[in-house]
This record gives sequence, C-alpha cells and structure tokens, in this order.
Amino acid sequence: MTVASTASGLLAMLQEQQPQLKKYALHNLNSLADSFWHEISASISTIESFYEDEYFEQRELAALVASKVFYYLGEHNDSLTYALGANSLFDVLEDSDYVRTLVAKCLDHYIALRKTREGEGATAIDPRLVAIVERMLDKCMQDRKYQQAIGMALDSQRLDKLQEAIRKSENVPGMLAYCFRLARTHVDKREFRQEVLRLIVNQHQGLHSPDYLTVCQCLMFLNDPQTVANILDKLIKGDKIEALLAYQIAFDLFENENQLFLLNVRDRLPEARAGSSSGGGENTETTEQNGMMDVSTSAEAATNVEDSQDNIYVDRMGKLKGILSGETPIHLTLQFLYSRNKSDLLILKTIKHSVETRNSVCHSATIYSNALMHAGTTVDTFLRDNLDWLSRATNWAKFSATAGLGVIHRGHLQQGRSLMAPYLPQDGGTGGGSPYSEGGALYALGLIHANHGEGIKSFLLESLRKTNNEVIQHGACLGLGLAALGTADDEIYEDIKHVLYTDSAIAGEAAGIAMGLLMVGSASDKAGEMLTYAHDTQHEKIIRGLALGIALVVYGREEEADTLIEQMTRDQDPILRYGGMYALALAYRGTSNNSAIRRLLHFAVSDVSDDVRRAAVLALGFVLCSDPTQTPKIVSLLSESYNAHVRYGAAMAVGISCAGTASSEAISLLEPLTSDAVDFVRQGALMAMAMVLMQATEAREPHVAVFRRQLDKIVSDKHEDTMSKMGAILAYGILDAGGRNVTISLQSRTGHDRVMAVVGMAVFTQFWYWYPLTYFVSLSFAPTAFIGLNHELRMPKFDIISDAKPALFAYPAPTAPPSVNVNIKLPTAVLSTSGRSKSKAKKDTDAKTKAEKQPDTSSQMDESSSGKEAAKDGSEAMEVDSAVEKKAVNPEATSEVLSNPARVIPLQEKYVRFPEGCRYAPVKRTPAGFVMLRDLEPSEPVELVSTDSPASPAPAGGANGAPAAAPIPMGGVDLEPAPPEPFVYVP
Amino acid sequence: MDSGNSKVLEAQRLYGRLETSIFARNFDSARAFLNQLKVKLTEFSGLPPLYRHTSTQVEELKLARSILEQAVLLSVGTEDQESFELHFLQLKPYYTDTRHLIPPSNFEYIMLGLNLLRLLVQNRIAEFHTELELLSPEALKNDCIKIVVELEQALMEGAYNHVLRSRKVPHDSYNYFINLLAKTVRDEIAGCSEKAYDFLTLDDAKTIFKFTRDQDLMTYISEEHPDWEIRNRCVYFQKVKDFSLCKEIPSLQLINQTLGYARELERIV
Repeated sequence: MTVASTASGLLAMLQEQQPQLKKYALHNLNSLADSFWHEISASISTIESFYEDEYFEQRELAALVASKVFYYLGEHNDSLTYALGANSLFDVLEDSDYVRTLVAKCLDHYIALRKTREGEGATAIDPRLVAIVERMLDKCMQDRKYQQAIGMALDSQRLDKLQEAIRKSENVPGMLAYCFRLARTHVDKREFRQEVLRLIVNQHQGLHSPDYLTVCQCLMFLNDPQTVANILDKLIKGDKIEALLAYQIAFDLFENENQLFLLNVRDRLPEARAGSSSGGGENTETTEQNGMMDVSTSAEAATNVEDSQDNIYVDRMGKLKGILSGETPIHLTLQFLYSRNKSDLLILKTIKHSVETRNSVCHSATIYSNALMHAGTTVDTFLRDNLDWLSRATNWAKFSATAGLGVIHRGHLQQGRSLMAPYLPQDGGTGGGSPYSEGGALYALGLIHANHGEGIKSFLLESLRKTNNEVIQHGACLGLGLAALGTADDEIYEDIKHVLYTDSAIAGEAAGIAMGLLMVGSASDKAGEMLTYAHDTQHEKIIRGLALGIALVVYGREEEADTLIEQMTRDQDPILRYGGMYALALAYRGTSNNSAIRRLLHFAVSDVSDDVRRAAVLALGFVLCSDPTQTPKIVSLLSESYNAHVRYGAAMAVGISCAGTASSEAISLLEPLTSDAVDFVRQGALMAMAMVLMQATEAREPHVAVFRRQLDKIVSDKHEDTMSKMGAILAYGILDAGGRNVTISLQSRTGHDRVMAVVGMAVFTQFWYWYPLTYFVSLSFAPTAFIGLNHELRMPKFDIISDAKPALFAYPAPTAPPSVNVNIKLPTAVLSTSGRSKSKAKKDTDAKTKAEKQPDTSSQMDESSSGKEAAKDGSEAMEVDSAVEKKAVNPEATSEVLSNPARVIPLQEKYVRFPEGCRYAPVKRTPAGFVMLRDLEPSEPVELVSTDSPASPAPAGGANGAPAAAPIPMGGVDLEPAPPEPFVYVP
Repeated sequence: MDSGNSKVLEAQRLYGRLETSIFARNFDSARAFLNQLKVKLTEFSGLPPLYRHTSTQVEELKLARSILEQAVLLSVGTEDQESFELHFLQLKPYYTDTRHLIPPSNFEYIMLGLNLLRLLVQNRIAEFHTELELLSPEALKNDCIKIVVELEQALMEGAYNHVLRSRKVPHDSYNYFINLLAKTVRDEIAGCSEKAYDFLTLDDAKTIFKFTRDQDLMTYISEEHPDWEIRNRCVYFQKVKDFSLCKEIPSLQLINQTLGYARELERIV
C-alpha cells in the first residue's frame, strides 16, 4: 500500500493560481491533517487567509483544515473558532479525538457564555455554537444517555432541553431524582435553581405516581406552602400508606427547620371538622374509588364509609398539624435524648475540682459545659448537686447559669414555662429576683422554644415591654429572637427596634442580633434600616450586634445579597466589615460558591483589622460546610499564618465544616494548633477539635483518646492560660454534648441546610465577644436518632440491624469506676429483659419466703426507680433490648441489633438496614431521623416501645416533687453590683 | 476505464505540446498548457496522495511526473525560483513514494541536483543537508549531485576561487543557478573585503573578485556597491565604525520589581 510520506506537495499546490487546484489540495489536506498537521502548520496562515477570503468558495473547508491543525497544536480556542466557521462540515457525530475534544470545548464555551449572559445584557450567542450544542444534546437523547443530557442542559441553563430530556427518558422518576440532586449540588445560581426546581415539580405532577417526598422538598426550596398543603391534604385523604407518606413528608420538612414555612403550610391546611365541606368533596372521591374496587357497594355502605372516613381524616389532620408545628417531633426527640442520656458526670466533677473557684471565666465555662453536655436531656443533676458552688455565679455569670437551664431543658415545650417560672420576672417587674437571673430566664425560654416559639412568643414580648432594665431587655431580646426565629413578625420587630433605639449598649447588642434572628433569610429592606442605625450609634457592641443581624437577614440569599455585602465589606468601620464576612458566610452557606470563597480569602489576607481577617477565615467554614473534605485543604495554608487571628479562624472553620466527621485531614490540621503558642488559638483549636470528634469512637479514630487526655491535662494544669482552659472545658461540653446523643450538623439528611443550626453556629462564634452566646451552639445539635413510627405516630417495637462492628459506633466508655458512674442512675438500664428477669428472680425468691402478691408489687416498685412503665404498661411485655446490653453480650460481633428508637450516628447510616422478614417497612430509604413505618401485618397486635417521658417529675426533680417547688437558687441573693460591670473581655 | 484512458490520452497529447513549447523556449504558451495540465491532473485518482490502484495508474503517474519535471524546467527557464520550489515539492513524492510503481525517471538526478543547487543559492543550508541525507548512496555518486556537493564544500571552506572556476555543468538548466551562485560568492568576497581592507587597488580587486576585465569590475561595483569610492585606481570601502554603546542597566526598575515581590510575599499569609 502506498502512503504519502509528506504533504508538502499539497501545500505547494495551495500557492497555485487556479481555484480548482486549491480546492483539490484543501480537500486532500483535510483527510491528511491527522498525520501531517505539523507540515500544514507551517502554512497555516495561507489556509487562514483562504477562510477569510469571502469570495473563496471553499472557505468552510479551509476553516475545517485550520481547525484541525490548531487542535493538534493545542490552540483549542482558535480551533473552536474555525470549527464554528466550518459550519456543517464540522461533524459532531464523528468519532475522533479531535471532534470529541472540540465538542467538549464547545460545551464549555457555551456554558460560560450562558452563565455570563445576564451580566452583559443578553449578548447574542453565536448561533453556530448553539447549533452544535443542540446537536450534541439531541445526540445524547438519541443514544439514551439522558443523564448526560440532563447534566449538559443544567450546566448550560437550558430548561427547554432539560424538560425534553426528562420527558423522553424511560425512567422519568429516576431522572427527576437525578436532576433534583444535581440542582441542589451543582447549580450555583439561586435563581436558575429555582427555575429547575419549579420544572421538576411540574414534571412530577404530570406523573402517574409522583414522588411526593421530593416534590415537597422542592416546594420548600421554592417557598410554596400552598402547594405543599394541597399535597398533604390530598395524601391524608387517601389510604393508610398515603397518610404515612404525608407524615413522612411533614417530618422531613420539619428537619429542615424552616419555622416560617412550616407554619405557613400548617395554616394553609384546611380546618378538619367532621362533615365539613372540604371533607364532603373528598368523600365523593373516595367513594368513587371504593366503587371502583367493589362495584357492588351499596349506597348505605358508602355513607358508612363516609362517616368513618371523616373521623379518620380529622384524626390524621390533627396528627399532621402536630408534626408540622413541631410538637410531635420535638417531643419524640426529647424522649429519646432523655432516655438515652449517657453523659458522664464524673468529667464535670473533675473539671469542677480542678478549676480554681476564684476564676470566674472557668467557673462559667464549667456551667456552659454542663449545659451543653446535657442539652435537651432535662437532666440537671449536676446543678442540683452543686448548689453552693453554683451560687458563686454572680451578675452576668448568673445570667448565663440561668440561661443554661434553657439549654438543658431544650424542647421541653409543655413544662418549659413552669420550669423557668421561679426565675422569671414577676408581675410588676419589681420582684425579688435579680435582673440577671430574670434576663437569663427569658433567654432560657427562648432556647427551650428555639424555632418553635408559637406558644411563648407573646409572653416574651410582654416581658420585653414591661421592663426597662437593660439586662432583662437583653435576655428578652435574645429569647424573642430565638423563639420567633425566621418568622419575620412585624410586631415583634417594632418592639425590638424600640429597644434598639434606646441606645443602650447591652440591650442594643441583643436587639441587633434578635432583629437578625427574626428576619433570618428574609432579605427584607429592614437590613438597610439596621445598617443606617449601625452608622449612627457610638456603641461598638450595638454595631456588632447589628452587623451580625444584617448578616442573618441575608441568610441563604446568595447573589441577591451581593449589593449589601459589597456595601458592608467596603465600610470604613471594621466591625461592619466583620459583619460583611458573616453576611458572605451566611448568604453562601453550604454552596461552596467560588466567588464567595475568593472574596473571603482576599479579605483573610488583606484586611487591616484582625477581627475581619479572623471572621473571613471562619466564614470559609460556613461556605464549605456542604463539602467538609474541601475545608482542610483550603485553610491549611492559613492555619500556618503568622497572624494568630487567622490561625484561630482556620481552626474554627475546620471545626464548623467538618463537625462530626472525625476526618483525619481535619484532625491533622487542628492537632498542631491545639498546642499553639497563643492562648486563644489553643482555645479555638480545642473547641474545633471537639466539634470534629463528636461521637467519634476510639475504634474508629484513635485520636479521640489522645484528645481526651489532652483536655484532662489542660484542665488540671495550674499554669495553663485561662483562655485555653476555658477552651478545654467547653470542648468537653461539645464533645459529649446532649448526653452523647447529638452531633453538630449544619445540613439535614436531605442535603438542605438546617437554618437553625447554621444560624446557631454563626451566633455561637460571637462568644469571642460575649460568653452567654455560647449557648447558641446548642441550636446546631442534631439528635443522632433513628425513630420509627407507625401510622399512630407511636413507636412500635422492632429491631434494625447495623452491619458494622459495635465498637465503631459505641458510646465512649465512662471515665470512672462504676461506683461513681452516674449511668446507673439512668432509667435506660432498667428497661430491659435483665430488669424483668431480675424482678422475676426476685419475685421467685420472694415467693418462696413470703406471701405472693404484696412483695411482688413492692419489688417492682423498688426495681423501677423512676417508677413508670412497670405500673403503666403492666401486662405489656417489655423486652426492650437496649443496644448497650447487646454490645456487652457480643463484643466481637460484626453487626449489632438496634431497637427502635436507636442511636444511629450519621456515619453509621450506611450500615443500617431493616432485617429480612421485618414486620415494618420504611416509607423512605434513609434509616435515620424520623421514619414512618408501614405495618406489613396490620392484623397482629402492635407492641409499642414504652416511653420515658421526662415530664415532671424529672428524675432529679422527682425527689423534690414538682420542679417549680425546688428551683435552683441562682447565686442566692444578688447584692446590687457595684459598677463597673464585670464584662467578659476577650483580648 | 475508458474515460480514464481517454483522459490520460488527452493529457498526454497536451503534454506533447508543453514539451515542444518549452523546447522552443516559448514560455508563455508553455505556461498556459501547464496550467491546463495541472487541472487535468487533479482528476487522476492514481496520483499522490490518494494512490488509488486503477488500470491507468502507471500511465497517470508517469505522465504526472513528466509534466511536473517539465514544469520545473520551465520555472528555471523563466528564472522563477518560487514556482520552481512549488513544482519541485509537488514532484518529489513521485521520486520518493512511487519507486515500486513506475521505473525511475531519466530526469530524476538532474531534478534533485537542481533542487540542491537552488537551496544552496538561497543559502538554505539546513534544508540542503536534510535533502542530502535523504539521498541514496548511488544518487550521491551521480555527477549531477556530486557537482552540487562539491560546490557546497567549496563554499563552506571559503574556497571561492574553486566555486567561481567550475563551469562544467551536467545540464543546461544548471547554468542559471551557477551564475547566481557566482554572484553570491562575489557578494561574500565583497563583504569580507569591506571588513578586511581600507582600500584595494583596482588590479588587486580584479584578482580577488575573479573578474577578467576592468569593465566587469566597474559594472559590478556600480550596480551592487555604489557606496564604494574609486579614487586613484583604488577602491575605498566605507567602514562601519560606530559601536553601539553598552545599554544601561535598568537598576531602578529592577529594585522596584524586587520590592514588589517582597510585598506580595508578605501578603501571602
């Protein structure tokens, strides 16, 4: 076979005069370009001039040859230009590296153009480019590569093609799910994301059996409560399974913590009253359905069905509203945290003993730590056992001690008010209590009702109006902000604004933050008002409060917030720039948005104020919280900065975004910082490390043990700086938070950001200036629970399996000999077969010696110290296998059986499955959080998990009867403090 | 087949007329025939780079080769180096890639030699050697090639008198390039003389430039080097004496740059 050895002859021919020769040469060069591009490249200018010659009839061919040569030369941009010039001669279907590369290039180019289209006022995109992209999209669809087509359409922001791709695919629900995932993770423009979600919803509604879970998630992103309400209403009118689905949707929506949205949905649900008009309309439908199923149904039967249907509907509607208003899930969570509390009081005891009592910072830190450790468990044993010690808290320390009760009793909605009653301001405002404990109590109420403040709002507002004391105002503002989080309630706003305008530093700071909390994510024009006042006032505290407040207002608004952010970051005042960093952090939370990261990094290295730099680095943690693996990489250089504030920020950023992941990169980054030369860097690093290592076991991450030893050492070391000591104490609190049953997670399981958690974390980081704000971290605690519920919203008894070594996800071992271990006091241990067998054994022995009936009841009463289920459930079997016990029996097992409700930490989720032949089947796939269960054997009797409700009498309070009767005296009689106030000042 | 055959026959007829025109040094009509022929050639599929095996391939190849050879000769005749290069590049594949298809041409070595000579004249020494390396040992022994190689060696050594003396050419077409070469050599000598001497007597100059008659020397000087002066039967060369001074070191700029880097480094964490 003869092959050409050179293309020089053809190239020479290009110089000929006759067009036929040129054409001939070009034609042959085109086919030889792949092997002789190096020779052709020398004459590329000739070929280019052919293309530019408008009278040359083979322009397109020339362009194609030029494009190929440029491709081989690596000049892809030129190559693309010429390929476009080649028009139809450029065949996108050709299977060659050249075409593939150029098509990819083409798409990139097109996507880039589409993304900048708004900026330059709709510059027309080259129609040839569009044609190529569309040809590619069509090809994808022809080849049934719908996922590719969807990805391309999303990237290039082509809704029409997206819709086409989804509609053409065989697996529409699958594609919609895929599209939903992409839209959330990869579409970085909020506006377009909304359009995509809208499209997804529309497509779903066109389906025969839409995936309502996804639809409702979408609708939540779109903030469309009406449609959600309609869907829920429709579902609970349906059969049992549909009702379960409705509950599940409600729980999932609840997990995203968008109070305003939930309330809106609830308010839009129709009133459920038997025989109401809406019910009537629905009934005809169901009758029709019944008629379909059973043609012979008589009219009488139909009316019967109607009646029972009505009752069921009312019942279901009540349950649904209970979930949406947060009562049911909060109650269940509280039960879980209470019954599974594993906190280790010995740690606190050790801290208490090693901390100098004169050191008020460490003293308060211990109180904070206690509150965090018992967050949501309602266990206040430690405080009750150490009343004398506690009474050393005075003034603001007393404020935080009281507020700490709010953290401990978080979610105790029914009892919250009565629990705090002794500390609350009495009528008339001149009660004997000190303003500090009164203010603290109002703050505590806010913490208890955080994000579900319907019931308490009016009371707090009243308290705020009644007082003129700035300490009480401070507490009331924070409490209101928390309780009415994100509700954008105008009445409350006006009242808080009134407080702000009194221009008192203490009350004003809280007011600023409260305004932000109230308006979270509303992007309302109130932000401008706040900014103006921040410029007017002289108080740094107020400016800081307002700056943070403004940042909260633009929460999650992404590009929409850019003008405001720009305004703040350009401000003369470093405090406002500081707020600007937070605004960036919150507006772009969890988006990993490149432009936000770039801006933050810029400020992190170039701002003149240390505070701003610290905030900028810290803000990176928020922006990257959806992608924890990225953060250590991005801040690793900053963590070695000469500037201690930047190092501190880096540590906190890693802590925030990698919380609960126990990622080894994060640990190796933080480890050197925990022994930094500067005390506050150590403080930050210790707390960040605690966040990262939350719920990590030694079996999974050996560093946990090292870290605990380090904390021990720091706490007991007399020569350690106060700052780092405080860090270590708080680190303990975070590490074992919520009875070791919670983790910090800024994202819900569905991948959406948890508003309350992010907000809580952002305000928490302000503890640098104001220690009482430390409690905000409790907002970001998420219980690591699996709670299975049946259609009655009760927990049936059943087991799930975790296919991992129990040690990997176990509770940490208690620190002390069992005699000191507090765990034995907890009722959990009794809730087991052992408890029953013990009692049985006892019963047997008793039976031998004494008469039968009397000792039996008495022994049972003895046995269950909390005195509940034995009496209540009586005959019901109580074979609740606690996970702890299983582990003890089978320490080397590769899997363990968990019983409902179970502690399933996020990393464990992928190992958890339902056993085969299980009576219950979950409605959704992820085995975590609240899971609605379908009963596969509805005829069998249902065994329910007996519940320990932490309702009064609480275990500790039980001794004293009602908790209200035995309030923890906060610092005894408060002597009127001599000014100046002991502000907690962090250098 | 028939159409292919008839096309070849027609082209062959045209080729005959091209040959005669060139022989008669009627270049204008030759050029016209050539242009027609080249267009005809694009219709032959047996030619490079396609090399399709058709019944008329051998004929086509032979014909195309002859046409291009004539085209090269025509370029020499019209003293058009550019078109020489174009045609030779088109011709080359017939010598390199078609050896197994058609017998070698009589003109092959003449053409190759001519091309080498052209490269030498155009002072494209690198390409000259590339081409030389591609030739077979037999080709190197051929007179047509050998003379060019020798010329090149003489030039490189600076044995200019050898270059100017050689006048025996294997083919008439060589004369054009050899003459050009002689002129090139004289230019070289002139360049050297300018550097080496302040002035030369006319007699010496005549010897050095290898002119036999004073008249030739005078014409050469007036045409090529009008800046030379002729006084008292001597040739005075103008000298380029001004040395450009060393450029000043841009110290200020460098200092600024270094300081800028230092500042940037400071800002990077």
